[in-house]
Amino acid sequence: MSPPSDAEVISRSLDEPEAFGLIYDRHAATLLRFLGRRAGAKVAEGLVGELFRIAFERRKTFDASRTTALPWLYGIGSNLLAKHRRGEARWLRASARMAAASEAADRRAGAAALDARLLFPRVADAIEALADDEREALLLFAWEELSYQSVADALEVPIGTVRSRLNRARARLRELLEAKGKNRVKSR
Amino acid sequence: MKPVDLARKLRREAVFEPAALERGKAVLMAAIRQEVESRSAPTIIPQVPYLDIRAALAFLERAFGFREIPSARFVSADGELLHATVEFRGGLVGVGGQGHHGAISPRSGGVESQFISVQVDDIDAHYQRAVAAGARIADELRDHSWGERTYWALDLEGHRWRFGQRSTPRMAAAK
Repeated sequence: MSPPSDAEVISRSLDEPEAFGLIYDRHAATLLRFLGRRAGAKVAEGLVGELFRIAFERRKTFDASRTTALPWLYGIGSNLLAKHRRGEARWLRASARMAAASEAADRRAGAAALDARLLFPRVADAIEALADDEREALLLFAWEELSYQSVADALEVPIGTVRSRLNRARARLRELLEAKGKNRVKSR
Repeated sequence: MKPVDLARKLRREAVFEPAALERGKAVLMAAIRQEVESRSAPTIIPQVPYLDIRAALAFLERAFGFREIPSARFVSADGELLHATVEFRGGLVGVGGQGHHGAISPRSGGVESQFISVQVDDIDAHYQRAVAAGARIADELRDHSWGERTYWALDLEGHRWRFGQRSTPRMAAAK
């Protein structure tokens, strides 16, 4: 017999609240890593329990036609992160510096190293400068590797809206990267 | 490089403490427990009036082992304690002021019109605790033929409490 789907577990948890513990066991590690990528370990560790507590309290509203709860949980996580924008921005800038350093070490070549050092902080700034809903769609897609449909489920918008947000994010990034400084970034 | 690929380059894993997931689960399990408890909460809750609510609470905790539920406290704007709730083995008792909703304390009324019956799991220890805390014993600890060991006590204001623990019924054994 195959294990029960998330939808089945959540529906059972309406009568037997303890059953919801299984949703945590299945997805908490994924969500913890997601929160960590977005805002660092400290914020993530503080939020992961809160995320599942909120999910538990809202479990009646879970759309039982979805088999996996993952996009729904990502959505709750995205909302929680909105209250930690400052920590998120700090983490992103630090990530940019580290990406630049490792890229520089990788290549050794002088010109490329210089490029990376200038480029990655600029990418971070550009991501920061996006509208909140565009950044959210971009990061769920690019970092979490969610499908368009899953991003749509997470953010509770139609899939067409996800497409247009991602297109806008791409265009804005290109624009912001090109507008800044003398070292222009070419988009292929 | 494409914008999305550039964004991908900034993806960085955080390093977590090993206990992070367990701590998160504890938060969830506390919420689950709270809901389970609220579902099994009693539907009938005796409300007992006192002249001095604070003194009554302290006595009920000390003598009978009841535990106040802090979040259930009602305090007036000027700090007066108006109502509290105590819990004991899943049962609840409201502790309120004299005269509210027409209820009066035996201390001013001079008579009890009812008593509250409580099941405990170690009646001898419970009895010792009540006596040590200065409860007046209205009926001594003893066994009954229907299979129960009981004692009766009066609290600070004269409310009557009956404590019991089930034991093997002697009559049933005789049949």
